[in-house]
Amino acid sequence: MNFDVNTIVYILEILIGGLLVGIGVHFVPVGGAPAAMAQAAGIGTGTVQLAAGSGLTGLLAAGLMMSVTDNLWLILASGAVGAGIMMGSTMLTGSWIYAYAVGAPFASAKVNYDPITGFSQPPYVAPGTVGQGIPTICFVSGLIGGMMGGLGGAMIYYPLYLINGNAALSAMFAIGIFLVNAVIASWNIQGTIEGFHDPKFKKWPFAFKACAIASILLAIASVMITGGA
Amino acid sequence: MAFLSNVDPKKLRVYGLVGSVVGIYLGAILNSAMDTNVFSFIGAIAAIFAVIMGANAVRRVCAYGIGTGVPSIGMLALGMGIIAVMFGLSMAETLGSVLLGPIIILIYAGVFGYIIGVIANKVIKFNIPVMEEGNSDLSMAGAMALLGWSFAISGTLGYADILNDVLMTGYIAIIFIAGGLAILHPFNANLGPDEKQDRTLVNAVMCAGIAMITTGIAAFMTQGLAAGLLQLVIGFVIWFYFFKMYYRLVKRDASAVVGTGLLPPTVQ
Repeated sequence: MNFDVNTIVYILEILIGGLLVGIGVHFVPVGGAPAAMAQAAGIGTGTVQLAAGSGLTGLLAAGLMMSVTDNLWLILASGAVGAGIMMGSTMLTGSWIYAYAVGAPFASAKVNYDPITGFSQPPYVAPGTVGQGIPTICFVSGLIGGMMGGLGGAMIYYPLYLINGNAALSAMFAIGIFLVNAVIASWNIQGTIEGFHDPKFKKWPFAFKACAIASILLAIASVMITGGA
Repeated sequence: MAFLSNVDPKKLRVYGLVGSVVGIYLGAILNSAMDTNVFSFIGAIAAIFAVIMGANAVRRVCAYGIGTGVPSIGMLALGMGIIAVMFGLSMAETLGSVLLGPIIILIYAGVFGYIIGVIANKVIKFNIPVMEEGNSDLSMAGAMALLGWSFAISGTLGYADILNDVLMTGYIAIIFIAGGLAILHPFNANLGPDEKQDRTLVNAVMCAGIAMITTGIAAFMTQGLAAGLLQLVIGFVIWFYFFKMYYRLVKRDASAVVGTGLLPPTVQ
């Protein structure tokens, strides 16, 4: 490998990508097992599954765009939109099940009024639960989170592909970096969060610091690998 | 039955590291010395040692409760592992000696895992006493398991061969998930107040047997009939033997095993 100014740019791009993934996880309404039983607001699965899902879709979308153009902005936009569509369709189909199969009214227990629609929330929160379904504020927050995850995934994939020129290797490496950052961020929110209106969202600086350290170490390792013969 | 019950974590770590490193070297040297690929199955056997070490690290860390579910830590182990594997193999190729690969992988994985553990305790403020060594173990276990299975599929430790046979073909996705299953699933399935080390670890060996069956199927395509069939048969034997053992242990620990029978006829 040749160490020059480009290498530093690649390291910075991977670092920013890792941070976007880490912060993006905080926006996604992760409900975990309680949400799967409609006893908490959010999507009924774990952070890593959601982050990995949106990130991998972002990678695929970015990789597809990369096969036709090498314009960085188009690749990033494609990754963000791909991941946003994945997260949006997950929340939409999940909502149908909560609305028509479980029969729960969507309500958030973390705010009294939905900041976007202004609807009152507490009367609709069933006793003993912390909200149900995916209210508007969670949906919007989830879309932002998904797009940040996809943007981060594309931001990691792009420099890796330029370094080693091997799509499969770059994708696997990006998945590795993605999973490390997503797990660290999900530890920070202790498994569940409703979105940017949740009090837990204020803990994001911890994840920012942790993801920055981890991403720098991963970035240094990833600029040193080659694409093979 | 004394198999794998109440083993000290330090002893298990030594078994895991020595078993996986020696196994991978043995397979690589035998394969190149005899100019054949039938010894590739030793790589998948070496991965079993790493899996046992990883599953034990998962049960130590997750016994404290990490709030995000056991799968998250298994995916972290594999995420750290895949980066260590590709980094180490690439470095070994650059340095000119293929046999240096496993050592570089082990060092990078151990150090990186330890740093992640320190971050989790100091920055995220987990305050889990075994977090540093647990994450270090997990990272090394994930890396050695992935390396063992990659070797089982490609038959050599060469960087270009593993890239072509394992990554470009997409088999990496199968061993990624099968490896995650073997490392994270045992504790996820057996957790609870009556969790016992031998039951969890026997489950881990059983899952590693399933992973060996899948690497055998992949080896059919990359190395031909002999190497693939050998892995498939040995993997099936391991899975079957440890499935029976696991079932015995489940019956031992359950308060009662009863048949529920069929659904009762509809009553008005």
